Amino acid sequence: MALSGIQIYKLLPQTNCKDCGYPTCLAFAMKLAAKQAELSSCPHVSEEAKAQLSEAAEPPIRLVTLQADGHEIKVGNETVLFRHEKKFFNKPGLFIRVRDTDPAEDIRAQVAAADSYRVNYVGMALSLDGFAVEATSGDPGAFASAISAVRAASARPLILISRDPAVMAAGLRAIDGESPLICGADAANWQAMAELARQHNAPLAVLGNSLDELAELTEKIKETGVKDLVLDHGARSLGAALIRQTQIRRLALKQNFRPLGFPIIAFAGNDAPGGQAVMAAQAIAKYAGFVVLDSFAPETVYPLLVLRENIYTDPQKPIQVQPALYEINNPSPEDPVLVTTNFSITYFSVANEVESSGLPAWLLVTDAEGMSVLTAWAAGKFDAERIAKAVKGFNVADKVSRKRLVLPGHVAVLSGELEEELPGWEIRVGPREAVDLPAFMKQAL
Amino acid sequence: MPVDIPKDKWPGAVRTITLGATPAEGGTRARTVTVGGEKALPYMHFEAEMPYRPVIALEIKDRRPDDWSPLLLEEWGEAASDPASWAKAAEAAGADLLVLALSLTGADGQPTTPAAAVAAAKAVLAASGLPLIVFGPGQAEADNTLLLAVAEATKGERLALGICEDKNYRTIVAAALANDHLVTARTPMDVNLAKQLNILISDMGLPLDRILMDPTTGALGYGIEYGYSVMERLRLAALQGDAMTQFPMIVTPGFEAWKAKEAKVGQGVPAEWGNWRERAITWETLTAVTLLESGADIVVLRHPESVRRVRAAIDDLMTAPVTA
Amino acid sequence: MTHLVTFDAALEPVRVPTGTLLSEAARLAGLNLMQPCGGQGRCGRCAVRIIAGSARRRSSLRLSADDVAAGWALACQTVVEGDVTVAVPPQESIERRLTTDRTAREVVAPPGYDPIRDQTIRRLNLTLPPPSLDDQTDDWSRLQTAIRQESGLAVTRLDLDLLRRLGRILREGEWQVTAVVEDGPAEARLIDLRSGHTPVEAPLWGAAIDIGTTTVTLWLVDLLTGRVAAQVAEYNGQIARGEDVISRIIYASKNNGGQELQQLVLETITALLEAACARVGVSPSEVVKATFAGNSTMIHLLLGIPAESIRLMPFVTAVNHVPPLTGRDIGLPIHPAAAVDCLPGVASYVGADITAGVLSSGLDDAEAATLFIDIGTNGETVLGNREWLLTCACSAGPAFEGAGVLHGMRATRGAIEEVWINGATYEPTFRVIGGVPPRGLCGSGLISLLAEMFLTGVVDKGGHINTTLPTPRVRVGDHGPEYVVAWAAESATGSDIVITAVDIDNLLRAKAAIYAGFSVLADSIGMPLADVDRVLVGGSFGQYINVEKAVEIGLLPDIPWERFSFLGNTAVRGAYLALLDRAARERVRAIASRLTYIELSADNRFYEAFTSALFLPHTDLSRFPTVQAARAT
Repeated sequence: MALSGIQIYKLLPQTNCKDCGYPTCLAFAMKLAAKQAELSSCPHVSEEAKAQLSEAAEPPIRLVTLQADGHEIKVGNETVLFRHEKKFFNKPGLFIRVRDTDPAEDIRAQVAAADSYRVNYVGMALSLDGFAVEATSGDPGAFASAISAVRAASARPLILISRDPAVMAAGLRAIDGESPLICGADAANWQAMAELARQHNAPLAVLGNSLDELAELTEKIKETGVKDLVLDHGARSLGAALIRQTQIRRLALKQNFRPLGFPIIAFAGNDAPGGQAVMAAQAIAKYAGFVVLDSFAPETVYPLLVLRENIYTDPQKPIQVQPALYEINNPSPEDPVLVTTNFSITYFSVANEVESSGLPAWLLVTDAEGMSVLTAWAAGKFDAERIAKAVKGFNVADKVSRKRLVLPGHVAVLSGELEEELPGWEIRVGPREAVDLPAFMKQAL
Repeated sequence: MPVDIPKDKWPGAVRTITLGATPAEGGTRARTVTVGGEKALPYMHFEAEMPYRPVIALEIKDRRPDDWSPLLLEEWGEAASDPASWAKAAEAAGADLLVLALSLTGADGQPTTPAAAVAAAKAVLAASGLPLIVFGPGQAEADNTLLLAVAEATKGERLALGICEDKNYRTIVAAALANDHLVTARTPMDVNLAKQLNILISDMGLPLDRILMDPTTGALGYGIEYGYSVMERLRLAALQGDAMTQFPMIVTPGFEAWKAKEAKVGQGVPAEWGNWRERAITWETLTAVTLLESGADIVVLRHPESVRRVRAAIDDLMTAPVTA
Repeated sequence: MTHLVTFDAALEPVRVPTGTLLSEAARLAGLNLMQPCGGQGRCGRCAVRIIAGSARRRSSLRLSADDVAAGWALACQTVVEGDVTVAVPPQESIERRLTTDRTAREVVAPPGYDPIRDQTIRRLNLTLPPPSLDDQTDDWSRLQTAIRQESGLAVTRLDLDLLRRLGRILREGEWQVTAVVEDGPAEARLIDLRSGHTPVEAPLWGAAIDIGTTTVTLWLVDLLTGRVAAQVAEYNGQIARGEDVISRIIYASKNNGGQELQQLVLETITALLEAACARVGVSPSEVVKATFAGNSTMIHLLLGIPAESIRLMPFVTAVNHVPPLTGRDIGLPIHPAAAVDCLPGVASYVGADITAGVLSSGLDDAEAATLFIDIGTNGETVLGNREWLLTCACSAGPAFEGAGVLHGMRATRGAIEEVWINGATYEPTFRVIGGVPPRGLCGSGLISLLAEMFLTGVVDKGGHINTTLPTPRVRVGDHGPEYVVAWAAESATGSDIVITAVDIDNLLRAKAAIYAGFSVLADSIGMPLADVDRVLVGGSFGQYINVEKAVEIGLLPDIPWERFSFLGNTAVRGAYLALLDRAARERVRAIASRLTYIELSADNRFYEAFTSALFLPHTDLSRFPTVQAARAT
């Protein structure tokens, strides 16, 4: 179980020697508790304390890594049930399924399209993580050549799907030297599959149709020395999958139940229109480590990639809105330009006040790294220079005929400098609080 | 290996709230809609039965909207030009209840009058037997005048009146109190603000079974995670016994998603975004389903196909075997 | 059925029916019990003691369990059920009992204070052997020898200026002189030398000074006895250049702003020094030692050190441990060679005011978890015990020091320090420091006023003034809605004293920041506030802070009163202790190295806790059970 800062502190030397790089032992202990520091930074910690601390540090959900030729996807190591409690750490891998019964040409074409797919979302290039090849034919040769076809079109990590150890062995030979996710072991084949996983140093997905069966299988497989396991709970409907995934996560985190302390693989196959997207979306938000999609289509993949970014955003970071020139109540070129920062609460309070007053205005939101007006100003992130940069960057002068800029009252001191930075602009000092904006706009503007 | 599945035992529960009143109950609705009553986190049927399904509302306007996506206007066709026919079409599209969102101005650009708002609300009530939620245009002063008139003209219908915010809650709550309606309390994505508004509203004496809360959400790609976490936290607080969070949650994924460029427009966007219609509907559907799984009781949508998909998801989520 | 009620303060007992309120019985007996709250059991000013007999308390909201056990009862909430004998205490003692004044001590020298052992400054009456042809030792060596023989100190330094006058002083006194010597951290130093001996009982002056962002406080101290001869305070002259440290830092970084701010604070300190010295009839140049506490920014600005790095990432100071300085270095009219000691800080936003505060509170040596809250502009908080110490700071603004509020003022003569509002008429009664017509509201008055407005419904839980109340006290003025505390006719200023909606916003933000600060601090080590054993409150209030009212508005945590102690200005008290005692000075250094600073600006939890506290008393009512109970009645 995770230790609190004070509990860790009691195990440290308590000399405040600063050798770890932190000003006090307690500061270091709190960083350790937040998993933002490594125990090895302390040269003076006792062996006994080290043993106690490393046991507590062992993750309740095992980290499983899938690699191939420079691509790497890490899943697991999660510590919370709800993202607001800390954050979700390792984004689930999104994989596209191909079947060995599909013509090689089709496989190559689809894989190539999915492999090269890149989409820009708020400045980030998002892409898929790999492919899952399924031995639908049951024929080792067909499986091997499908895998080779996929490999020819993409260097990304692979998941190999077959329950037949002989077929799986042929598939693994086709990409000899690689360690794909073997999917997978079940009650009937687990010994042979575990042996293959061992030989190829590959992670192994384990299928159980109940949590009882799943836990029993993982325990048995662990005894063979295979440690990197992935859970397939077998539920394929939305509701059942949600419950299973929640139960597994709770058992792992709240009870430190080791047999189920592994990432989950979810299959988003669903024939209903849009059903696949819904299942995949649930898997992303609700605890899956790998999500296997049945097909590749940009209009489905793009929303899912975005959802994954959103859910895995660090909730401890201040909530920001996009810096931009926002239009409120259809402003005309005559209307004033109000300035504020991109801290979402600040933005919302200003935007809401103006919006509900019905008065038209331009709202210039500057990049203040998500800080409120006063904090940003204090930290030097909201000064005349930055405001002037935003005015120029968003071409505000092209949108208005009357160059009037309204500063938040809290930063009235900036008006002089801003006049220097923005010649030709009339700089007005507005009220300190957003709630007073409508009255100010009616009376003073 | 038998696994002992842990079950959360919660001291609190979400309040059960009924919208709409039948003739026997003093209104004119053909049926009512009841939401809430959850005693566990969403769809965890193995812990507690979920007594009421989440419901889907379709949003209609008092006149043909100027700023809706062409995809939506095309889908609704001529029905969107008249609130009564739109209400009928929405009912046919499978809505459990309706949201009438009043415009700030009429087609002539003049501010919507209380009389016009009342006429639209009455037309919708006459055209459809579904329970109704009425949203003002979202400007405190206009909301106050229009909603007060609508509330008085529809006394006894158990409408939900919105948007009731920190600024204007007194007027809207008073209108709801006097005319046997409900309110939807909206706050901008913050657990504390949501609780504070609920406290202020309940301090005015509005019975607690007449409050819905709208914690506000962003669309997918536009801050959905903030609303998502706020909703999870509100629901956890409700289950932990915090009375001022034990209200069913109404959210507007239709409004949010169709505001996003990804859904709204089909031209001048990156090719990687794929097919417009499918993407737009996926945008609305995923926003809605994600919010349902974080605790939404009422989702307000805009596109009929999204209604079908979200309904399918709810069906699946509600029928999961209790012993799963 | 009737009963006999005997009041010790009344001439005759009275006979009343069962169920009569004690307050009514007192009225019948001709007594005038104070009931500013209108008999609602809220103000606690009608407290009486039941000596014998039977009465039933309907409510004891204002009383602790110990109080009730000792017979205390609220007359307006207690009904007669049999013959009863009641003691009516003098009003003054009731008010004292209601406040935490009982813990605000007179300043007394630390027990066992021994200037020879503890004080770094020694004053020595020396008689030197005159030189002769047989003994041609130079004057300085002669003096050094005499000092060593008298005190054991090997003095190695003195000012050139003093050296030039040395021979004359020795001879003028006919080899009888008074030397003031510092046994400094590195070496012993001659500070002053005068002809003739000085009576041993004559004071040797030192000054303990706290430079607050808003208020500067100075204590003039006799270093030989530890006696505090004068306590003076004034607003920091820098306020006109910005209310908070950030504004000051930015101001200082422009043009000659740094020099100007340095000059302003020096002027403030000089004025205080002169006022304090005038009170005991000495010249400021008699002050031979000065110890400073103050936040890091204030110390930087005092010394003219650029402070810009304090506000910019990654928030570092130029110096935390300032080396020893002299009066001449610092530019104050104290003795030019006086020892000047700036106490050490920890970080940009945890300065010497906090290390000094911890010292004076004894928190660093506490057995159980103790919370120290400094209710000031920077809202510093320390939580800890003898094993660990955590600290944070948050920007609370100057509202609780009476600044940034329309009719705010410092806690001096003429300040309203306590207010009661009648729940039926909304009429206030108040108490003014010095008992004179009021000039404004000080911090404790503002806390009291806000609590009363909240409990009587003048403001709602969001802090909005209810403008529909049937009283002329509530009106819409130039600054929006406001409540009139004192009409022009009764005030010393000739105009109405009001609290405005903007003032209330400022107070709410200030209290929310402070509450958020200590709750996040406790949360960051997983300690529920209820587990805090003691709460020590510091701040530039006057005589006291009404803990109960501070809890009612959600400024302080809702835990039993007995756990609170009000320490007053802990920073200046810490400076005072360090001024006197070298061991205390060493302890401040140790505290500075032990304090673990939590940076709140990097922490989303702070914002969360802040918005949650931006409500009366708090969004989470379960954190304030007694306030909930008080409102329910």
